[in-house]
Amino acid sequence: MQRDLSKVRNIGISAHIDSGKTTLTERILFYTQRIHAIHEVRGKDGVGAKMDSMELEKERGITIQSAATYCTWKDIDINIIDTPGHVDFTIEVERALRVLDGAILVLCSVGGVQSQSITVSRQMARYNVPRIAFINKCDRTGANPQRVTRQLREKLGLNAHLLQLPIGLEGDFTGVVDLISMKALYFDGDSGENVREDEIPPEMMEEAETRREELLEEISMFSEELMEAVLEGGDIDNGLIMAAVRKGTLALEFTPVLVGSAYKNKGIQPLLDAVESYLPCPTDVTNYALDLDREETEFKVTNDSKEPLIMLAFKLEDGRYGQLTYVRTYQGALNKGDTVFNSRTGKKVKIGRLVRMHADEMEEIDGCGSGDIVALFGIDCASGDTFTADGISASMTSMQVPEPVISLAVLPTDNKAQTNMSKALNRFTKEDPTFRTYVDHETGETIISGMGELHLDVYIERMKREYKAEVEVGAPQVAYRETISSRADFDYTHKKQTGGSGQFGRVAGYLEPLDEGEYEFVDQIVGGAIPREFISSCDKGFQKSLEKGTLCGAAVTGVRAVINDGAAHSVDSSDVAFQLAAVGGFKEAYTRARPVIMEPIMKVAVEGPTEFQGGVMGSLNQRRGMIIGTTEEGNYTVVEAEVPLSEMFGYSTTLRSLTQGKAEFTMEFATFKQVPKSVSEELIKKYQDEKKNN
Amino acid sequence: MDTQELIRTNPLRVLGIDKIEASGRGLGLVMARAGLGKTAILVQIALDAMMRGQNVLHVAIGESLDKTRERYDDILAMMAADLPDETRTALARQRMIMTFKENVFSRAIFEERLTDMIQQNVFQPHCLIIDGYDFSDESRPAMEELKQLMATLQISVAWLSAVCHREDPRISSDGIPAPCHAIADLFEAALLINPADNVMNLDIIKCSFCQVTPGTALRLDPSTMLIQRS
Repeated sequence: MQRDLSKVRNIGISAHIDSGKTTLTERILFYTQRIHAIHEVRGKDGVGAKMDSMELEKERGITIQSAATYCTWKDIDINIIDTPGHVDFTIEVERALRVLDGAILVLCSVGGVQSQSITVSRQMARYNVPRIAFINKCDRTGANPQRVTRQLREKLGLNAHLLQLPIGLEGDFTGVVDLISMKALYFDGDSGENVREDEIPPEMMEEAETRREELLEEISMFSEELMEAVLEGGDIDNGLIMAAVRKGTLALEFTPVLVGSAYKNKGIQPLLDAVESYLPCPTDVTNYALDLDREETEFKVTNDSKEPLIMLAFKLEDGRYGQLTYVRTYQGALNKGDTVFNSRTGKKVKIGRLVRMHADEMEEIDGCGSGDIVALFGIDCASGDTFTADGISASMTSMQVPEPVISLAVLPTDNKAQTNMSKALNRFTKEDPTFRTYVDHETGETIISGMGELHLDVYIERMKREYKAEVEVGAPQVAYRETISSRADFDYTHKKQTGGSGQFGRVAGYLEPLDEGEYEFVDQIVGGAIPREFISSCDKGFQKSLEKGTLCGAAVTGVRAVINDGAAHSVDSSDVAFQLAAVGGFKEAYTRARPVIMEPIMKVAVEGPTEFQGGVMGSLNQRRGMIIGTTEEGNYTVVEAEVPLSEMFGYSTTLRSLTQGKAEFTMEFATFKQVPKSVSEELIKKYQDEKKNN
Repeated sequence: MDTQELIRTNPLRVLGIDKIEASGRGLGLVMARAGLGKTAILVQIALDAMMRGQNVLHVAIGESLDKTRERYDDILAMMAADLPDETRTALARQRMIMTFKENVFSRAIFEERLTDMIQQNVFQPHCLIIDGYDFSDESRPAMEELKQLMATLQISVAWLSAVCHREDPRISSDGIPAPCHAIADLFEAALLINPADNVMNLDIIKCSFCQVTPGTALRLDPSTMLIQRS
């Protein structure tokens, strides 16, 4: 089934929280006739926006899990992934960007480019995603699209230019002037469904002409033909202008900016036209896969539906119909009944049901071609797995997955809750690679870890609501790490002779800091000092030792363990004996290798009115923060700092009272750094006390 | 290479920068035509001060925070690639960046922010770096006020950048070109990036505390923009 890929757009909608992107998606679905009534995010009608299908999202009014949906605009098939705006859910945004060809960056015309928009823009740049910007909420008091466009240039470094001018602003916002067609567009009807083209209001003509000239000057850089036409003067073909805008956008050298108000049903249809005209189709984007038979060398996927299949599972969801796996095909076609291979597990998988998703509703389909985004039923896999046709051994490039920085203990209230919690945790860890869970062997507690307080809060809520797992939750704990700062030798003999068969194993070598990576085992044994069959036992022993350091009980990372000598006994040596010898050797060397405690440091950006700048800086300073700097823009300031995560608990409350609720902050993981001596001593003492009490 | 070695071998030592600082309210100037690397010079002056234990407030007018920070990271990496992470972190703690949009910056706002920051005990700068200040013929009162403010807030030195233009021939008696020619007396030191043939000279056009003959030229490595002795 060969589709015309030039008529497919896989797009994401990304933005700062509360920029109105869910409302925008709702309107897009309405104008593309996927839904027949409009519901607001926090709607009084109790229905909620279509894309916020999770109960929790409806309640909180934010988008947590990106729901995929499909719609058709004119003759273009559009797959939309609605992405969360909160930085704690950044993995969702990153996953969406991995499979998308283009994106709409939604901005609030009042708030402008806020810190989360900067994070999202950085992510888009990482995945080379061409974007168009939509300045929403032009009907709000204080709306200023020109200022936001300037911010796009200054703060995000984008070559952003308005393709439209708003007709009126705030309460007077009535429509837009298209600077390419030089027409005014109004949105009539109860829901703005009738687009009316009219002459530009005379009082706006001069400004429109000036802006058009500026636009033409800028985009003529992308088209010699257009440049000639501009130099010659006279009428310029709209198609020529649009082609230049498209070329610049696809090359990531130009960002078209459109304006509107999703809530007031204005400017959405031209935005859909812009998606068609300026965002790439699957064949405009080059994607690479890794050849697993050739040491993971990169090769270009063809986008051709006739070629063998390569597709990526980018999202899993446990819905009311069972597990749903969202996939993007990069090459080849997929049909009902096909058998495909999971590159990671090597297992064969038969495709049963194939559906197009429309938020939480679905449409059965028989097959899909290259470049499509669809969902599969009953496939057992993890997020990020690659599926291929028989005979192909390939994997799509792996996604960057940040390490979790915060953890907390969850305790089920009864046996039923225990079973349900296990089910829930199993699902969540498959769905979200930044969400991890393990059992602390010493305390027997189940620990969950993730990217922030809100991230974990949402999963706890989901456990309760979706899985009926009532749990008690401990206080959030920072995911500290331990590492060594110098080399230390070990020579340890494990010997046990207490009746029955004995245990004997001697290992010698050294531990040293590892600059990159978490752990490395090096075998330098020569002459069979340790028999080959026990080498892996040593490795296992070291890995066991890494689970918990001796300073504060945190996981140990950044260690290279080298063994270069040892001894074995023909009868008493065993796998267990060498594992224990390695554990002993590790312990012996670890304290001498000057271990240190590392803590997660967060990059914090606080935005608020300038009058609170001093107070904000003071509050970050008090939290062991290192102020990087401030950016002053008009009436508001952004203070950026690096602050230890352990100091950020409860900061939102502090900030609220400090700034009368007028400032907000975002936080993302920056790096791990060694804790100061005083904090280290405190953590060691606390751990020792806990051990004593247990 | 450790910081002591970097301080000792820094070509800026010929300027006797520490003596300018010791003088109390010293003003230094880095001039060049647009795009020749004034910021790179200012960052090297700032890094030298930070290595000598001074706190530096870098005021960037019309430049973003990330870009300014990157400048420091890049130049420090070129000066000493093997500097331990702890030293880098310690140096970063001695620096704060304050950025303003061109149209937002005013002396009054700057004074308010600076005073606020010091009074809140957030950061006490010893050295100011002001990059992107728009000098005009009426800059004398502003510079005099800056000196006054520095005295009040116990800031010992400020280095500013200024753009000169080839088409403006005005020049002070001690060789400082327009637009700073009329306020040349307010500066203790002035450096001029002076490209000639394939060489980027860094001329010391004024230096009240120089330990070498005034007129001695430093040079910039065109690929790294690091200051070198001629």
